[in-house]
Amino acid sequence: MGELGSGLFFFGLSLLVMWESLRVGLGTLREPGSGFISFCLGVILSILSLLLILRGWGLQASREHFPRRVILALVFVVLYSLVLETIGFVLATFLLVGLLFRLGEPRPWWALLGMSLSVTFLAYLVFGIVLHVYFPRGFLGF
Amino acid sequence: METLQSLAYGFSIFLQPTNLIYSFVGVVMGTLIGVLPGLGPGGAISLLLPIIFHAPAVSAMIMLAGIVYGAMYGGSITSILVNIPGEVASVVTCFDGHPMARQGRAGPALGIAAFGSFIAGTCGIIGLMSFAPALANFALRFGPPEYFSLAVMSLTLVTYITRGSINRSLIMACIGLIMSTVGMDPITSRTRFTFGLPALIDGFELIFVAMGLFGMGEVLLNLGQSMKREAFKTRVKNLLPNRRDWKDSAKPIARGTVIGFFLGILPGFGNAIPTFISYAVEKKFSKYPEKFGTGMIEGVAGPEATNNASSSGTFIPLLSLGIPVNVSTSILLGALMILGLQPGPLLISSNPDVFWGVVASMYIGNVMLLVLNIPLIGLWVQVLKIPYSILAVLIVMFCQIGAYSVNHSTADVLLMNIFGLAGYLIKRYEFEGGPLILALVLGRMLENNLRRSLMLSDGSPAIFFLRPLSAVFIVTAIVILISPLFTRQRIGKKAIDMKDD
Repeated sequence: MGELGSGLFFFGLSLLVMWESLRVGLGTLREPGSGFISFCLGVILSILSLLLILRGWGLQASREHFPRRVILALVFVVLYSLVLETIGFVLATFLLVGLLFRLGEPRPWWALLGMSLSVTFLAYLVFGIVLHVYFPRGFLGF
Repeated sequence: METLQSLAYGFSIFLQPTNLIYSFVGVVMGTLIGVLPGLGPGGAISLLLPIIFHAPAVSAMIMLAGIVYGAMYGGSITSILVNIPGEVASVVTCFDGHPMARQGRAGPALGIAAFGSFIAGTCGIIGLMSFAPALANFALRFGPPEYFSLAVMSLTLVTYITRGSINRSLIMACIGLIMSTVGMDPITSRTRFTFGLPALIDGFELIFVAMGLFGMGEVLLNLGQSMKREAFKTRVKNLLPNRRDWKDSAKPIARGTVIGFFLGILPGFGNAIPTFISYAVEKKFSKYPEKFGTGMIEGVAGPEATNNASSSGTFIPLLSLGIPVNVSTSILLGALMILGLQPGPLLISSNPDVFWGVVASMYIGNVMLLVLNIPLIGLWVQVLKIPYSILAVLIVMFCQIGAYSVNHSTADVLLMNIFGLAGYLIKRYEFEGGPLILALVLGRMLENNLRRSLMLSDGSPAIFFLRPLSAVFIVTAIVILISPLFTRQRIGKKAIDMKDD
């Protein structure tokens, strides 16, 4: 993606900001409206992103490669936020911690189990008991 | 006399057992964060923001301040022992600290770093105590044009003194400002840019943005790289510097304190740039400049004093004007708002317990840090051996649970993870999260004061140039913005490049 891709992304965003600002209302210089400053910012952003596009125009785009570990970690944490209410804090946290530890480096299953249990227990102790955070219990009841 | 009375009041607040515990936790967390590479003080404060919801305002600020100056102490340990700076303000310490460790002088290097930090930190607090109330009184004369221009100047300076291109930093600042406009319009109470999502009515909450950008984003970036790091094997002995070391370090510590404190007050300089300036100054003053980089104790003492003095200096604009000067103070400003305090010149007079409690905590906190750094050095060396793969999991869990605990909402966790992805992409494509977070924090104030100024002046932007103070701020900002057209090298750019290398 590099300069050209990010420039195009921000240019598109600036157009959206300007469009929405116009919709909200710019007001006048004497009485600026809700969209006044965001419109100005949209204009500045469009100029800055055009500069980025111009700089990236002649450059050869490199092939994008996102590390597998990063993608998997993102998938795991997004899944965690989606299933937390349904399966409950303890089970969801235990599974997430186990998967993340496995992602870091290969470890024997008993080490993974022990580490996941310890982190889940510690998290529950610190946040649930000491700081009184109410965690979702889920269908299993814990 | 009045200052001493106020300080005594601060100590009476700080010496309450709860506050002592919060301060201890803060300085230990700060040192830990400084020791562990990969998570700076900004990230650490972001991770701990959910906890402050459960704490009284004074205690929370005491803890967060402890993290900021504690990280300065801890950062030097990794720089000296393994040549990996825990955070950017300790980069310079690597230059001579690590060669000293290789020559078997890790002890004196760590010792002078701790003592230098202690002396500079204490002097910095005296400066904070003297300057902040005076500046706050002066700032009572500020009107909307002055606040707008000051916010613009701060943002411009922070954007100017970052690594990477100014264009990219300005884009990030623009994004932060645009994000600050999402939600309720503070003047007309009309909602805007929410796209029908109820979660956006109150705007983007700093806590989720900061945790995502600096906590999750940092971990994701490290996950994509090698997770192995050099283990420290040498034994650390003789921590107390000898008479010769003290003689060589006294003047660098004094100079470093002055440089750090005054540059720390200025927006944008933060903690890192002054350390490079201090190193350059020490090299200039030295009889043996050619030996710098081979293990000169002056090269450790000066910059270490500088980064601690500057961390006290950064508190002055934060507590007296409500203006943050770097990422850490931006998040601290957000914390003040979360705690229901109104940052600005009235903070010291309306919440003297917070200001003087924090000042008193810094005195004792520095003593705590000296105690933690000298005898517990062995423990910190052990901490360095924790594999990053374990640390990363703990940071991720802290982000997830922390985000959930704020409103007991899984939507917040999702939002924080989205900002984690954004933080990862920002760093991957060589943008900077710092200007974005500062702009997000300053955005509301900037918009309010711009609109009020225009209403005051009947729509004439000349108001920003006709009022003397406002003119100084705005002209400074303009000069900073156009200066790259005339100079080839920006302040600090070379320094930051050296760190990246």
